[in-house]
Amino acid sequence: MIFSGLPLAQLLAIFGVAALAVTTLYILKLRRRTVSIPFIKLWEKVVKDKEATSLFSKLKRLLSLLLQLALLALLVIALGDPRAAASIIKGRTLVVLVDASASMQATDVSAPAKTRLDAAKDEVKKVVRGMGGSDRMLVAQMDSSITALGPMSGDTSELERAVEKVTPTEARADFPRALRFAIDALRNADNPEIVVVSDGSLGPAEDAQGVVHTGDIKLTYVPIGQAKRNVAITQFSVRRYPLDKNRYEVMLEVTNTGPEQEDIELGLYGDGALVDLSKLRLRPGERLPRFYPNLSGASRSLEAKLQPLKDSRDELPADNRAFALLPERRRAKVLVVTGGNTYLEAALLLDEYLDVTLGSPRDYVDKLAAQTQKYDVVIFDGVTPAQPPRAHAIYLDPRPGGAVPVKVEAEIKAPGFDKIERKHPIVRWTALDDVNVAAGRKLVPEAGDKAVGASQEGAILVAGTRGGFKFMALGFDVRRSDLPLRVAWPLLLLNSINWFTDEDAQYLSSFRTGDVWRVPVGGQASQVKLEKPGGASELVPVHEGRAVYLGQRSGFYKLETQTPGGEPQTVQFAANLLDEAESAIGPSPELVVDGKKAGTLQGFQIGVRREIWIYLLLAAAILTAIEWATYHRRVTV
Amino acid sequence: MGLLDAVFGKKGQLASAAEEELFDDDFQRKLEYLALVSRRVFAGRMRAERRTKKSGSGIEFADHREYQPGDDFRYLDWNVYQKMDRLLVRLFEEEEDLAIYFIIDASASMAFGDKKKLKYAKKVCAALAYVGLANLDRVSIVSTADRVMDRMPTTRGKARIFKVFRFLKELEPEGTTNLGDALKAFVAQNKRRGLAVLISDLYDPEGFERGINVLRYNKFDPFVVHVVDRTEGQPKLNGDVLLYDCETGEDREVTVTPGVLRKYAEVYDHYLSSIDQFCVTRQVPHIQADVSTDFDELILRVFRRGGFLR
Repeated sequence: MIFSGLPLAQLLAIFGVAALAVTTLYILKLRRRTVSIPFIKLWEKVVKDKEATSLFSKLKRLLSLLLQLALLALLVIALGDPRAAASIIKGRTLVVLVDASASMQATDVSAPAKTRLDAAKDEVKKVVRGMGGSDRMLVAQMDSSITALGPMSGDTSELERAVEKVTPTEARADFPRALRFAIDALRNADNPEIVVVSDGSLGPAEDAQGVVHTGDIKLTYVPIGQAKRNVAITQFSVRRYPLDKNRYEVMLEVTNTGPEQEDIELGLYGDGALVDLSKLRLRPGERLPRFYPNLSGASRSLEAKLQPLKDSRDELPADNRAFALLPERRRAKVLVVTGGNTYLEAALLLDEYLDVTLGSPRDYVDKLAAQTQKYDVVIFDGVTPAQPPRAHAIYLDPRPGGAVPVKVEAEIKAPGFDKIERKHPIVRWTALDDVNVAAGRKLVPEAGDKAVGASQEGAILVAGTRGGFKFMALGFDVRRSDLPLRVAWPLLLLNSINWFTDEDAQYLSSFRTGDVWRVPVGGQASQVKLEKPGGASELVPVHEGRAVYLGQRSGFYKLETQTPGGEPQTVQFAANLLDEAESAIGPSPELVVDGKKAGTLQGFQIGVRREIWIYLLLAAAILTAIEWATYHRRVTV
Repeated sequence: MGLLDAVFGKKGQLASAAEEELFDDDFQRKLEYLALVSRRVFAGRMRAERRTKKSGSGIEFADHREYQPGDDFRYLDWNVYQKMDRLLVRLFEEEEDLAIYFIIDASASMAFGDKKKLKYAKKVCAALAYVGLANLDRVSIVSTADRVMDRMPTTRGKARIFKVFRFLKELEPEGTTNLGDALKAFVAQNKRRGLAVLISDLYDPEGFERGINVLRYNKFDPFVVHVVDRTEGQPKLNGDVLLYDCETGEDREVTVTPGVLRKYAEVYDHYLSSIDQFCVTRQVPHIQADVSTDFDELILRVFRRGGFLR
């Protein structure tokens, strides 16, 4: 037994002085209240009985004094903070990693806990209450990031408050990152221990830096959950048809991650209205893709929901919904400067969202050239403008001279698309390899431009940017080739227009939770307001024109930003879990890290604190209560 | 207004405010009522006048007794002698007025608790005195403590009730109780025997028996009105207190607990019952006058209990 508070000599001095004061107070004669009575003789009999027990009364007063001195002794010893010598070296340093990933929202727990996360919090609280007096703990939430919920502390109430801060997410857990955090937090700590409270669907403890080595740190695993039955939406995607943007198609995948056959009802909703409803039967482990082609309508938001039918079970509701947003359709104003090109006009008719204005080269020179800023795209068909337009531009068969963004050289005979930059958006879904061209001109791209298509003699299809406006230049007259007879012709045109207007057909219909999202936003704002699925909003930073946010909940999000003109602009997007590993909710009975199996929780006994002063104070309180009761019941007076 | 007005004239004669408070109109009406009730209770059994079986100057024949030498020849019944050849003396009932002494305890203990007991004692005394005066008895009042403190000379007739009031009004509590010595002085001062109504709380350190016995042994007919304030049996005390006697100043240190209070209540009850026991065994008419009882109800109980009127 050692005193970690005041030293023994000081404690003895305090006790001596205080005991002297207490004894002096006891010796002092009690000043009694005087009361008049009518006839003292009646009291004499009563007083005689009391006097008969006066010796006992003296003993009782002595007992009262001894009680007071015992009380004082307890308080003084408590001041010394006595501890068993063995307990001093047994203090542990713990980092508790509470898994808050999507799978922890499974409901296969017993009341009063509603989810695995609730059960995990209860388990952590038990650990907190069972901590020793010298133990220190840090509680951290483990999801797609790692968040310390409080300081390293031995204060149980502070730690319980930290546990209460754990919030569920709909993202996968980044276990290697959490482990590295815990290892860093426990560096040079006494008796370090990592406690992982999880259902075990954490994946391997390995990341880009390699396998996480825990070294001498003790790893403990507290398994949560028991059921395995779950059906999840594991893929959900939507896109508009490139050539008919009024229609779209949906791809969806449903997976039964459980060990038993499940019957489910799968519904697809557009702007909240039912689009399709089907009943499906999935064998254990089966993945069932579903396509919904040729869907049309004004809907922008799409939601897929599944629910188990009778006799089927689904323990994880978080993966039963998926969300998607169709890209917004916007009318693009197109000015076509041509002497007449039926193929060109026909191709532009395919997209009804194009607002096409036709003008002759003469009209362009006379009046249209001054109004190019009104248009999104200007197409020069065999025409070379004197000044570059203040809009995105397509140059078909440009001639040397004039304001063509690339240098046009001498005519070449029968050029072909011998080399194609297939990843460029303007040639997406096109097959240009065998296009036959009678004659064309070689285009010389500048630095920063991209030669999207080139023959042996040189580039014939170039894309780039000039003065903040994009351009595409095709080095031949399409009427002198078989390109207009191919699907690639309208695709090339529409791809180019879409590329100019950022209406990318490769638009992401949803983000995945747990990833850092980089959502393009207009304007120069350094931060934008993000409205989350629950209705709450927060400001998120904008980096290089993109709002950066680590999303952990699925649903529809809305970004509000201010354009340079001061008008508010809204960008909507959806986020989904779509993670088969998280949907496989079967708990893992053991946890293996760096080839070592995690141990079970030991050394935590609820209600047993190793701080003796607490018990001393408790004893002092009980003694005070006894003294109070006996005094007021006139036992010790 | 009533009998009192008719007898005593204006009620304004009740001078002081204190007197009016203690013996107010309402009180006087009650006295009148009690006097009437007392007649009704005893009608047919006793007349207003008291009689003694005493041979002598009476006019109503009562009894015979054997002649003894020295008897007055004038009272020999010659008719009986003629018929039965025996000398018998005729006895007559002699009419006599009764002496009623009211001995009111005016010690300090009677003033304990807002003078409730003393006020009650005064009312009881006044009421019984009025009944006595109304019955043409000779009424006298003395106040005592450890001696005879004050006395109201013997008087008779209802008109004297205001004298009673005045005497009682001026009575102030003082001194310690010593009924033995006080009543010894009383009997020495009053040769004429009669009814001695002792109105007291009987808190006599020397023992209440001594005073009553003095009356008994000196041929007075004691009638004890024991004034009791029941709240004295349940004092509101707690904790460490120094108790002192309001008469003697004697003190005791007591730590009052619920157990002590229970014990005290037992002792108090035992004290009251010991007074009852004493009076019953000595055939002393006795009544316990609880100050919480309406005084007129108590007076009626006195009448019914008997001993006051004969």
